[in-house]
Amino acid sequence: MTKRTATHATFVIERDYPHPPAKVFAAFADPKKKARWFGGPEEWEKSNHKLDFRIGGQESVSGGPPGGTVHAYNAEIWDIVENERIVTSYQMHLDDRRISVSLATYEFKANGASTTFVLTEQGVFLDGYDDAGQREEGTRELLSQLETYLNT
Amino acid sequence: MTTTTHASFAIERSYSASPQRIFAAWADPAAKRAWFVEGDGWDIQSYEIDFREGGKESSKYLFRKGEEIFGEKTVFTNNTVFNEIIPNERIAFTYAMDRNGKRFSVSLATVEIKLAGKGSRLIFSEHGAFFDGADGVQMREQGWQDLLKRLDEHLAEIKQ
Repeated sequence: MTKRTATHATFVIERDYPHPPAKVFAAFADPKKKARWFGGPEEWEKSNHKLDFRIGGQESVSGGPPGGTVHAYNAEIWDIVENERIVTSYQMHLDDRRISVSLATYEFKANGASTTFVLTEQGVFLDGYDDAGQREEGTRELLSQLETYLNT
Repeated sequence: MTTTTHASFAIERSYSASPQRIFAAWADPAAKRAWFVEGDGWDIQSYEIDFREGGKESSKYLFRKGEEIFGEKTVFTNNTVFNEIIPNERIAFTYAMDRNGKRFSVSLATVEIKLAGKGSRLIFSEHGAFFDGADGVQMREQGWQDLLKRLDEHLAEIKQ
């Protein structure tokens, strides 16, 4: 029997992107744009990214090192305020093990010609497979990939 | 400009009922309706539950004091998706609250049920995002304190 544990954690990451909110928001809202930056490291195998960007719509992507553990992301979109806010609830699985359920809020705030982007993740990490520190580190890497994409 | 505030809380409560009986009160549609939906001060307009991972629950109710408190006829809607269900042990779900069609919060809730002596200990944890002038986390926590007490009363009633 699996030893059940639930560890709760919250982290906030703020970034300033030298692009207007509409451009940063579009990198989350447009499936083609989001697929360009959202996923694991480049050497990972990646399955098709799917995104139905509307309230109640779903998003999924999975990937992992060749022949290794499959990391699967499955999200549902709960709130959208165009160019201002997105709220999703998402789960991560490693192979068939559910390791977390999280509430993620993305806020886009105009700051002159730039955007102050604030990501808040409130999560429950399950049965000891992951922790908030690893998640925060992974999320920072994703936001760096977003920045690279926005700058190209 | 939209505003968003984030908050979390946890409530622990002991029950004399077994984990199986507590879980059943969340899983069985009639039982869940009895303690979670029915209550003084509300007129239930609809309630549906599909208790499985990925399944949904929705309730819609007229708040009788709406005109007194909000100055207008007030209908609240709760939309839930069950993210994880482990029988007798854990339930995780995401839910949104709307007032008159306007979303004012999205929350992630986790219910842990643990055997404790002859009864159980339940830990309810909520992480919430509250929007634009929503009533905020204190009322939400009080709401769940009341609901978890009603769950206890419900379990006592059906035992008799």
